[in-house]
Amino acid sequence: MSKHLLRFTVNGKQHALVVESHERLLDVLRDRLGLKGTKEGCSTGDCGICSVIMDGKLVNSCLVLAIQARNKQITTIEAIGTVENPHPLQREFIKWNATQCGFCIPAMILASKNLLDQNPSPSDQEIKEAIRGTLCRCTGYRSIIRAVKAAAQEMKGR
Amino acid sequence: MYVPENLNQLLGYLDDHQSGVQLIANGSDLINRMQRRQIEARVLVDLSGLSEFSYIRKDNGIVRIGALTTIQGLISSPALGERYDVFRDVASIFGGPAIVNVATVGGNICAASSSEDLIPVLLVLDAKVKLISKKGERIISLEDFLIGKRQTAILPNEILVETMFSELDDQSTCAFEKIGMRNSLVIAFLNCSVFLRLSKENMGIEEIKIAMNRVTGKIPGRAKRTEAELKGQPLTQTNVENAVTTLMSELRLTSDFRASEEYRKEVAPVMFKRTLIKCSERLGGELRV
Repeated sequence: MSKHLLRFTVNGKQHALVVESHERLLDVLRDRLGLKGTKEGCSTGDCGICSVIMDGKLVNSCLVLAIQARNKQITTIEAIGTVENPHPLQREFIKWNATQCGFCIPAMILASKNLLDQNPSPSDQEIKEAIRGTLCRCTGYRSIIRAVKAAAQEMKGR
Repeated sequence: MYVPENLNQLLGYLDDHQSGVQLIANGSDLINRMQRRQIEARVLVDLSGLSEFSYIRKDNGIVRIGALTTIQGLISSPALGERYDVFRDVASIFGGPAIVNVATVGGNICAASSSEDLIPVLLVLDAKVKLISKKGERIISLEDFLIGKRQTAILPNEILVETMFSELDDQSTCAFEKIGMRNSLVIAFLNCSVFLRLSKENMGIEEIKIAMNRVTGKIPGRAKRTEAELKGQPLTQTNVENAVTTLMSELRLTSDFRASEEYRKEVAPVMFKRTLIKCSERLGGELRV
């Protein structure tokens, strides 16, 4: 077991910590940095619930070794909106009742945000493709798609 | 984990440590297999920082794809336009964005099992792979590289750095189909890739290559008897139906936890025909089977 110095940026803040080879990005975010918004689902890359954005790309944090995130920029749900000033996606998810149990929602928001960053007016099909790796076991996909569309509209109107 | 800073360091390390070492690119497949104890390595060697191996280039009619190119990289590359829609076929059903963004071409090839969707496509493109070590480089066909399930011809001191194949011309195309439990994030019950070249004069089959993930003796592999039967024939319903009989005799369709033998036998001809229809459409033809 070897130890490594991991330097990376999480939600705009630089961190330097010593990690072991086998540590996953998911565990470092949750247990070492206390960012509990990133949830652990299947741990095998099947459900997408642990998704975070790494250098502009959606990744499963359960399948990224922490040391492989060296020198990267990570965005987790904690960086998206605040209670006082939620992100349009968060506002629309609430408005359209797109959250049921809520467990998949941090990943859904990040997957949707990643889509809207690249494509400000997605079609229903493009939204489905963007969230196809994020499983909602409450199966509330229709309202999620509606919410993403509404958020896209709102963001364009700004 | 050993984190090399450059290629020379990496090759030197591999030459000095020829056992207990496991290469890791972005880990989307490997981390799972390590968690299941299917792979036990004393040291992981991290390739993810070697960004010079993420490229797609064309030179002298050859397409060269660096081993660290991601599946997303394949479909967003301007070098692989409409003619290479086969890679869009693969990416659309390969996995969700979080997998497609990290899974690499080299990783898919080296994982070498029936689950790797890119392998049948590269097999019908007659792809070769380039392996390098401290001692030099060698280029072998992908078919020779794949020895068996999870077994490849790579030596302990080598890394796979590139796969290459001839460019598709106006008369040729390629397609891929996959069937699994659902439409996303799924491992294939069966997959199929076909390369088709039709003659300019009579739209007959000038060349055809067929690969599936469950071919007898090769997982995945080419169905060469079926290819030989169809070559030079007109692309008609009768010829395709006859070829299906040969194809079925070349496949090894058994039951496992993903699907039953009976189901696989039922869908294999459908998969082949669908892929062939897609190829024919891409060449402006109209095949009804």
